[in-house]
Amino acid sequence: MSEKLKPAKLLVIASKAGRVTKRYPYDEPLLSPDFRGKITIDENLCIGCGACVNACPPNALQLMKDKDTVVLRYFVGRCIFCWRCVDVCPVGAIKGLREFELATNDISDLYVHVVHKKAKCEKCEGEGATQRMLYYVVQKSPIVEEYLNECPDCRRKSFIDSVVKRRTGGVSE
Amino acid sequence: MSKLLKKSLWVFHLNTGSCNACDIEILDVLTPYHDAERFGVKLVTSPRHADVILLTGPITIEALPKVVNAIEAAPRPRVVIALGSCGVGGGIWHDTYSTIGGVRGLQKILEERGVVVDAFYYVPGCPIRPEALLYAVAVFKGLVPKKVKSEIKHAE
Ligand code: SF4
Ligand code: SF4
Repeated sequence: MSEKLKPAKLLVIASKAGRVTKRYPYDEPLLSPDFRGKITIDENLCIGCGACVNACPPNALQLMKDKDTVVLRYFVGRCIFCWRCVDVCPVGAIKGLREFELATNDISDLYVHVVHKKAKCEKCEGEGATQRMLYYVVQKSPIVEEYLNECPDCRRKSFIDSVVKRRTGGVSE
Repeated sequence: MSKLLKKSLWVFHLNTGSCNACDIEILDVLTPYHDAERFGVKLVTSPRHADVILLTGPITIEALPKVVNAIEAAPRPRVVIALGSCGVGGGIWHDTYSTIGGVRGLQKILEERGVVVDAFYYVPGCPIRPEALLYAVAVFKGLVPKKVKSEIKHAE
């Protein structure tokens, strides 16, 4: 094996092997059909439930809440492309893409925000989940209408009030 | 895209506690198959010879002093390219006790120590595909356009 190859022999071997180098940035990448890349969140479907946030191992998806909004933030820089979020999303808002060319010079390029409006409580200043999630829940399971626009605390209070009224013979509602 | 990366890049590969997947992909990029030397990329064995530090891993506390030393040893203008989910954002270890959560924690520490880094670049992926790294080199050299951009979507 250690015997030196003559240049002519080398040329023969090289011409048999041909060119192996891919012209990649100017060519198609070699992706297998089951390759997993970054995800995209469809803002028209997402209800802001946070199921994906619970499933995400590295917390690449995070829910951030402030007074009027709930923001679902996706940080590609931390995503491990496991697609657990794709599996758990109850409305199928997350699609897995086959994109992997994510190089950037500015880290803010790697963030995607989905901004949701918070549902406002009718009675107090309190707040509940997102407006979208409320509609979703109402569609799935019938709940009593007059509790609908209340925050969880007010809902509890109104329910107890109505039970107390019934107990004492008053007219409920 | 960057004036600092116009010339041939001599890169120093700095593993700061990564699982070796990104490291294997870096070696893969240097094979004849992908051949990063087309773009002038060359692996060097000392940070003193390097233009670019290729940083993989979430930077463990144990590795941190050595990482700072290695970056300090690179000549100016020095550029750090954070590779993989761990390098960019700390990955799955971003809030564990034994790491500082990727290159953004490192930026603060370097500032405190007075070590200047002229530019940081980011290449996410877990692990980075060899093509992603090639694309990154091409983007930084201005040969192909950058594909990611930040988005704010409103759910009405
Ligand atoms: S699981 Fe789906 S609907 Fe729920 S917050 Fe995530 S993307 Fe939105
Ligand atoms: S693919 Fe995995 S790591 Fe990425 S956002 Fe979804 S659950 Fe999180």
